[in-house]
Amino acid sequence: MVKLNKNQNFGLYFKYALRDLTRSYNKISSIIITLFISLFILSSIMTIEDSLENELNENAKLLLGGDIEIDYNNKEGDQTKIDKITKFATVSQMVEFSTMISTVNKKINKTSFTRVKSVDQFYPLYGKALYEPNDALEKLNQIESSILVNENIFKNLNLKINDIVKVQDKEFKVIGIVKVLPDIGGAFVFGDFALTGKKTLDKLDLNTLGSFLNYEYKVKFNKSVNSKEGIKRVESLFKDQNRVRLRYPENSAGGIRRIVDNFSQFLSLVSISAMLIAGIGIANTLLSFINQKNSSIAVQKAIGVFSGNIKTIYYLQLAILLVLITVFSYGLSFFLIPIVDKYISDGLGLNIEASFSIINLIIVFLVGMLVMIIFSIPTVNSIDQVKASNLFRNVFQSLQFNYSVKSVIISIVLLLILISLFAFRSSMPYYSVAYFVSFFICLLIFYYLSVTIIHLLKKYKNSKISVKIAVKNITQSKSITPITIMSLGLGMTLLLTLAFVGSNFKREISKSIPEIAPDYFFLGIQNDQREKFEKIIFNSDNKSKLEVVPMVSAGLVKINGIDPNSYIKNTNDSYWVIMNDRRISWSDEIPKDNPLTQGKWWDLSSPDKLQISLDSKVAQDFGVKIGDIFTLNIYGREIDGEVVNFRLVDYRDLSINFAMLLNPQFANKIPHEYLSTVKFNNIEKFDDINFLDEFPSVSIVKISDYLKKVTDVLNKVFIAVIIISTVTVIIGLVVISSAIIVQGKIKTFQNLVFKILGFSKKEIIYSSLIEFIITFFSIILFSTIFSIISSKFIIENIFQLKWLFEFDIFLNVTITVGLVTMILIVFTNLKYLSPKVYPLVRNE
Amino acid sequence: MTKLLKLTDVNLNYNTDNNLINVLQDVSFEVDYKETISVVGESGSGKTSLIMLIGGLEKASSGKIEFKDFEISSLKEDEISQIRRKDIGIVFQSFYLIPNYTAIENVSLALEINKIKDPINKAKEILDKFGLGKRLNNLPSQLSGGEQQRVAIARSIVMKPELILADEPTGNLDSENSELISNILFDYVKEENASLIMVTHDNKLANLSKRIIKIKDGKIE
Repeated sequence: MVKLNKNQNFGLYFKYALRDLTRSYNKISSIIITLFISLFILSSIMTIEDSLENELNENAKLLLGGDIEIDYNNKEGDQTKIDKITKFATVSQMVEFSTMISTVNKKINKTSFTRVKSVDQFYPLYGKALYEPNDALEKLNQIESSILVNENIFKNLNLKINDIVKVQDKEFKVIGIVKVLPDIGGAFVFGDFALTGKKTLDKLDLNTLGSFLNYEYKVKFNKSVNSKEGIKRVESLFKDQNRVRLRYPENSAGGIRRIVDNFSQFLSLVSISAMLIAGIGIANTLLSFINQKNSSIAVQKAIGVFSGNIKTIYYLQLAILLVLITVFSYGLSFFLIPIVDKYISDGLGLNIEASFSIINLIIVFLVGMLVMIIFSIPTVNSIDQVKASNLFRNVFQSLQFNYSVKSVIISIVLLLILISLFAFRSSMPYYSVAYFVSFFICLLIFYYLSVTIIHLLKKYKNSKISVKIAVKNITQSKSITPITIMSLGLGMTLLLTLAFVGSNFKREISKSIPEIAPDYFFLGIQNDQREKFEKIIFNSDNKSKLEVVPMVSAGLVKINGIDPNSYIKNTNDSYWVIMNDRRISWSDEIPKDNPLTQGKWWDLSSPDKLQISLDSKVAQDFGVKIGDIFTLNIYGREIDGEVVNFRLVDYRDLSINFAMLLNPQFANKIPHEYLSTVKFNNIEKFDDINFLDEFPSVSIVKISDYLKKVTDVLNKVFIAVIIISTVTVIIGLVVISSAIIVQGKIKTFQNLVFKILGFSKKEIIYSSLIEFIITFFSIILFSTIFSIISSKFIIENIFQLKWLFEFDIFLNVTITVGLVTMILIVFTNLKYLSPKVYPLVRNE
Repeated sequence: MTKLLKLTDVNLNYNTDNNLINVLQDVSFEVDYKETISVVGESGSGKTSLIMLIGGLEKASSGKIEFKDFEISSLKEDEISQIRRKDIGIVFQSFYLIPNYTAIENVSLALEINKIKDPINKAKEILDKFGLGKRLNNLPSQLSGGEQQRVAIARSIVMKPELILADEPTGNLDSENSELISNILFDYVKEENASLIMVTHDNKLANLSKRIIKIKDGKIE
């Protein structure tokens, strides 16, 4: 007889696998559902992230606003150098500044702290701005004192086209609304913005620190100039200019990229959590599936099929399922793109398109395969337990998970591969690994919790029959208690952690911070205006709390004679201190909320020496010691100063805080202006319109407006985060539901006996509820403990805010999940409540 | 009511794939207190269905079933359960012990559901009587067929019901155990003045009853 070759053999197994699968796929429907949900989430995250990345890359120049950008900070550009560049490129000057816009001649006049871009006739070099009416941008440089405002300002100030507004104390005509600007790469536009023409600069007083003036020159190379060559030529012009920053298209939209990166990183971890929870269900359902095939497997073995070949057939079934589910879930993820595009284009002016990536498809498949194999190895290995001789005794042992040393090692290796796959693709690999470690620690603890509960309940004696049955159900050998506790416990822990983090964060932002934060910041108060300013504030409200501090702008150019940019990377937590010029101040006394951590306050015997007090976190991040020398550039002059102490600076209360303070004996000689915060006793008494009439060049920042914006964004983000994290709970519930169905035969038999003995449906339901309560309360206890620990860590150590136990959040989450779980369990158990006696007895 | 049990024109039909199967047709008979009856007939004649109906485990399609002062056929399921707890004991061919409960737990379950005090000792007593004193903490999978059936009978009679329904109680047992089981059943009936309705293929066992009812094709002959 001719034997089959290896390929034909494989083809035969494939045929058996396909046949088996098509005839019994409904028995493993829970595997299909949970795997699909998890892979769909992962696919969606990767598809959206890819599409966004493609959009950002393809439009990098558009986002930057040029082939290269020259940032002069608050100084006007060197015209000689700019003229040299215009020989081989078009240069568009953009000057950004912050100022107050206020309405005039309205019934109730309003103000808005606005970021204004003053643009020339070349703007935008790349892309298109969206505005109304059609010719508004062209008119900007033609009509003097004209302004385009964004939709928010237009709405909040109740404006109409051709209305007159005041920018500082100068009148401007509103000639249109700007909706979208192409070059959002510079910063993530959070506040309100407006556009004016180049000539605006001459009209306004922008020489105050409160203006946050910034000169940028966007460069677009002529067609004859190769991009690389052009960049080299620009770089050579500025090679010795430390105070000038060059930005490239690949650096554009850094803020957006970081946000997208962090968000998708987080969502990927949620999806893998969902997948791992699903894996618990996969193992259980698969075991039940194989148990149902017990006699079939015995028959196969009786006619000579090897155990290994039988296992191959089952693995092939899983592989076929996986391929189909991967392709389907990846394909379905493309349907989310138009929905996401709508939100992104409304918010950011970006447009994303779905783009197929074979690498993403492979990664999704790989992740699914790893999870599937890890959780199916001990299950499929149980096939070894089936003996052909069982057929003769008509006794089939219930199969159990089969853990051999080899299978455990393989599972661990595959798990490490899975973790590495996530960690290496992540921008924060350590956080990813830490997350996985925490996940598995939680999983182990929940497993041992279930073992402990079973052990304790075995010793528990109670006379009430329903309690006895509930306890018996929990402690019996095929109990679903371990699966319930593990899957729901993990889901609850994740959900509670995020709920606590979100609620604490929101509380701090919307309640605690506003309670202690000032109502207003006033920037750019000149020396000669200080007295008048204080008088006006106290006249408005004599119970107000006013704080006024001097302020100058300074750049940290050297630390101990070395340029800090040469060794401090932009990933350093305190890089912001050396990124641009910083506002610094001075004080006679140690600020109340900035206790000294090291060193001594000012040495009053050296008034001519510059002494510096530094934020202790900055000192730690930069490796600065007491006695180190900082070189500060103040108004173009470089001055050396000694670091004499470190302070613990708490920025969260939004009061006046500076990373660097100088000794007043030295600093008082520096020309300066003032920054002030005011907390009114009655905020209604303050009239910002009248105030601006007196101080047109002072910028007013109303803290509540910004906190409201932050809270609005946070609300949306956390709702999205909670909804997505709820997926892990849903997966957990599907796992529990499938576990109950797996128990179906046992439950049916047991309920049949109960029915014969005279139990009522009510008593059976009651015992199910007691079983649920015992299990659920154990889950709640431990998941609450875990979530308290993790959320406290996140809030206090990462966000450096105050953490409080939010009882209402805890109650809402636990009651909701508890009710849903209870309904699901009762609903799933309903069909086993009324077993049809006759068919069961006849089919014995 | 002078009769323990009375069936009047009882019918039982099943609908399967648009076919109507008449399992029992116009069955009528009465059972006295302290009476023993064997129900005999070929396989598929409706014997087991008759037991199910009397025990309230199935609902008749039509007709009346009266047990003591209750019309079982018109009671709700929970009401029937109440009757079954105390007054009717059922024994099956396949024992139907709960696999994860020990022998003593299986028996005490019947006492606990009726809120009887000291269920464990009472269960122990009856199992001792049935020669299972050393098997109290064994699971059903650790007992022989005869031992399992003794546990099942102990469970069904521990509440001293007035009516025992036995569906092929010795069907899965060898001759020695069959005799043991039949002795247990009939001894109980005699001691407690209970009634017994037993389905059996065993002629010897059938003849032990006071009356034999023959069923053929769902009808009483």
